[in-house]
Amino acid sequence: MSAPAVARTPAPRVRRRSPYTYLAVVVGLLVAVSLLEVVTGADDLTSSGTISATLVATVPIALAALGGLWSERAGIVNIGLEGMMILGTYGAGFFGYHYGAWAGVLGAILLGMVGGLIHAVATVIFDVDHIVSGVAINIIALGATQYLASRTFVGLPGGGSTQSPTIPSLPSLTIAPVSDGLQGLEQRNVFVISEVAAVVRALTTNLSALTVIGLLLVLVTYLVLWKTTFGLRLRSCGESPVTAESLGVAVLRYKFVAVLISGAMAGLAGGFLAMVASSNYRDGQTGGRGYIGLAAMIFGNWRPGGMLAGSGLFGYTQTLGLRSGRDSVHALLLAVAVLALAVAVLQLRRRHVRAAIGFAVAGVVVGAVYFAIDEVADDFTRMTPYVITLLVLGLFSQRLRMPAADGESYRKGSAG
Amino acid sequence: MASVETPSRSDAPPAVRLRGIGKRFPGVIANDDINIDVARGTIHAIVGENGAGKSTLMKILYGVQPPDSGTIEIDGAAVTLGSPADAIKAGVGMVFQHFMLADNLTVAENVVLGAERLHGIGAAAREEITRISGSYGLGVDPDRLVEDLGVGARQRVEILKVLYRGARIVILDEPTAVLVPQEVDELFDNLRELKAEGLSVIFISHKLDEVLSVADEITVVRRGTTVTTVDPAGVTARQLAELMVGSELPSPSTESSTVTDEVLLSVRDLTLPDPAGGRPLVDGVSFDIHRGEVLGIAGVEGNGQAELVETIMGMRDGATGTVELAGTDLSGRSTGQRREAGIGYIPEDRHRHGLLLDSSLWENRVLGHQTRRPSVSHGLVDRAAARADTQRIIEAYDVRTPGPEVPARALSGGNQQKLIVGREMSGDPVLLIAAHPTRGVDVGAQAAIWDHVKNARRNGLAVLLISADLDELIGLSDRIEVILRGGLVGRFDPSEVTPEDLGSAMTGAGSDAPREEGSP
Ligand SMILES: Nc1ncnc2c1ncn2[C@@H]1O[C@H](COP(=O)(O)OP(=O)(O)OP(=O)(O)O)[C@@H](O)[C@H]1O
Ligand SMILES: [Mg+2]
Repeated sequence: MSAPAVARTPAPRVRRRSPYTYLAVVVGLLVAVSLLEVVTGADDLTSSGTISATLVATVPIALAALGGLWSERAGIVNIGLEGMMILGTYGAGFFGYHYGAWAGVLGAILLGMVGGLIHAVATVIFDVDHIVSGVAINIIALGATQYLASRTFVGLPGGGSTQSPTIPSLPSLTIAPVSDGLQGLEQRNVFVISEVAAVVRALTTNLSALTVIGLLLVLVTYLVLWKTTFGLRLRSCGESPVTAESLGVAVLRYKFVAVLISGAMAGLAGGFLAMVASSNYRDGQTGGRGYIGLAAMIFGNWRPGGMLAGSGLFGYTQTLGLRSGRDSVHALLLAVAVLALAVAVLQLRRRHVRAAIGFAVAGVVVGAVYFAIDEVADDFTRMTPYVITLLVLGLFSQRLRMPAADGESYRKGSAG
Repeated sequence: MASVETPSRSDAPPAVRLRGIGKRFPGVIANDDINIDVARGTIHAIVGENGAGKSTLMKILYGVQPPDSGTIEIDGAAVTLGSPADAIKAGVGMVFQHFMLADNLTVAENVVLGAERLHGIGAAAREEITRISGSYGLGVDPDRLVEDLGVGARQRVEILKVLYRGARIVILDEPTAVLVPQEVDELFDNLRELKAEGLSVIFISHKLDEVLSVADEITVVRRGTTVTTVDPAGVTARQLAELMVGSELPSPSTESSTVTDEVLLSVRDLTLPDPAGGRPLVDGVSFDIHRGEVLGIAGVEGNGQAELVETIMGMRDGATGTVELAGTDLSGRSTGQRREAGIGYIPEDRHRHGLLLDSSLWENRVLGHQTRRPSVSHGLVDRAAARADTQRIIEAYDVRTPGPEVPARALSGGNQQKLIVGREMSGDPVLLIAAHPTRGVDVGAQAAIWDHVKNARRNGLAVLLISADLDELIGLSDRIEVILRGGLVGRFDPSEVTPEDLGSAMTGAGSDAPREEGSP
């Protein structure tokens, strides 16, 4: 082939992030929080208790977000995550009480999948609008579990129409020598070292098996969706189903399976709430975490790593609000102010003058509030997670990229 | 056994035999009694007007749509193709008329999708892609995001996809519409090689000279039926065109110049930095276009012409330099405001930037004109007027369709293109930016579009023309600039330049033009 040379402009290639980038981010965060602690004197920011509680708050959100990720990567918007979580909480309560802890986990997954099945049949087979189907599932799931609870839990010891009896607990991990050994170090307040000790302690004290499973599922999801044929095909259905179809991919089947898995993840998230975050099914237990999970997934740009970060941010701020909130949330204000100013500088360097001014003003205002008050009122600490999530979403949302055919209806035979 | 008279050259059954294929859509008979034999080891061209039913037929052969009637035989065995998966199993591969690529996936992911069995989805697959790209001279980099590729590169990815799969029967639906002549030559060399390996190629194109040069047999389709199959040695392009449409081959030629001395568009030092930090995508470009003048930009796709156009249209962030339209500075204006200022824009990829496929034709007519009469009055969409004006475009530009209510998806590719051209010429633009304006339209419609442009030019329209078709560039332009690696590198007078000169200037022959190969 010795045809005349043809000059072509090389376009940017896909940049891959190395695992070290993530490590650097984690270390950087630790240093930043340590600094914040030193500057503000809010010393509950990185106690091992805070970190343990953060994990427990994060995992259900992350699992819900994973549910969203699976389904949206295949092009089906799943706003029914909340409902599937509710089904999961009930499944954990019913099966957990009657058949033991692990049966509870399976029950949660199974009932979540029932929700997923309904969504899949509606959206994939009957081409119902994804939002309509999802909202319907949220409403139906709530009513159904309330009804089922009143039929199955009333009269049982400790059970009632709004709660199940206590579910036997799942195994959890404590490595006493490490946990106790590091206690001294954590309390000595050595810059950064103590923070690392606190993280290690949190991971070795009373760590539930389901927490480990939940975190592993994030990794597994990444590997399956990005490193296997199955994952490539599934993602292609969310990016361009006609393309996938034209290459022989059974698009509807992949979408269906994806929504089922999505339901399973959301169900497990509900199970986690019932079995790890508390010890029984309770009415209203999910508290909108399905929607938060959806937000975390968007925050994470439809990627597992980013979605974990979003869930972690939400879990962390929520935990701070619940623990010594007045001080900790007050300290967070400073962090937000500094972050906003940093983004302002970044935007200025990219010549986005208007955005830069906006961020600078926001940073100055939040900073002024920080110095004007000494502690944050309780009413405000409860809304912190939402405010911070909104703010950070606002800061980073410029470059979000959802699957191209997400939420679109698709019919077989439309290629070409 | 009684001997059966078959028209095929040898005793072997034809690779593909289509008999009595029929296909109807609401209000349209797309295919009606189609009969075609494609012998093994040949290149079989199919030609016909826009909307004649070529793509529909190919989609039937590829299992995308079932035929209403008729039979398909592959290598002598009757097959029922319920989905592309069936067709792939039967050894058929297809490059669609419109790109079938997932933007947010890499080239490698797009290529291996559905054929992961062959080389997995990892390093081995990338190596194979690089190998094929190298040996067929496609210059495809597996790690790039498809989103960042221009139309020519996308087309080559599509071709690579088929080669990667090792199909025995290769369907190419207008693969050359956006390729420059050198690239077309490379492709044809590859096709001849495939043919020698015993593959059968079905090739669709509106460029009749191309068809005559590469095909072993040519089947003419008219209004959904096969008219005849001819030997390319025995016909001329003119005769082919007459078989297709009964009209004459057009020749684009500029009559007396209409260039005025009034500058309409003035571009100064326009530079668009590469967001990834490389060499600027558009590099210090300056030019003027006067009223009544057509400025043609010649260049191999991927040298910045798409970026240049999108920068002028205000679709790109971070550009420096100035763009003035009739004396007013456009910087800081949105794309919508630029359009309101009187710029018409025919995008290079009609599906990505030109149309809402699932909206009706009249809704598509309103797009880009959503603040202007006749489609909109007092801030409200005037449906009746929009429909009426769409009907006007349908008639003036000969868009073959049942009416303004049908979705844009139901139009054939060439008819979609005609609709876009008609829309962009509406509302008396002062400047038309046209990227491959006659991409995919048949010879008759091409001549009609050229006439429309020439008429408007006589009334003062300025045109920035980008085209891979050098005859079109030379025939329409008053001046031709060559773009290479983001910068304008040469100016030609169309009345003197030959396609060959232009071709070598475009590739940077004589200067150091590094060929970008698959691996960095
Ligand atoms: N999905 C569809 N729904 C309705 N009508 C359709 C559909 N697809 C094609 N048609 C109609 O069928 C006819 C044949 O279209 P086809 O795309 O096969 O033409 P073509 O020969 O490929 O033309 P071109 O050269 O413009 O690509 C056209 O009149 C078109 O409007
Ligand atoms: Mg076609």
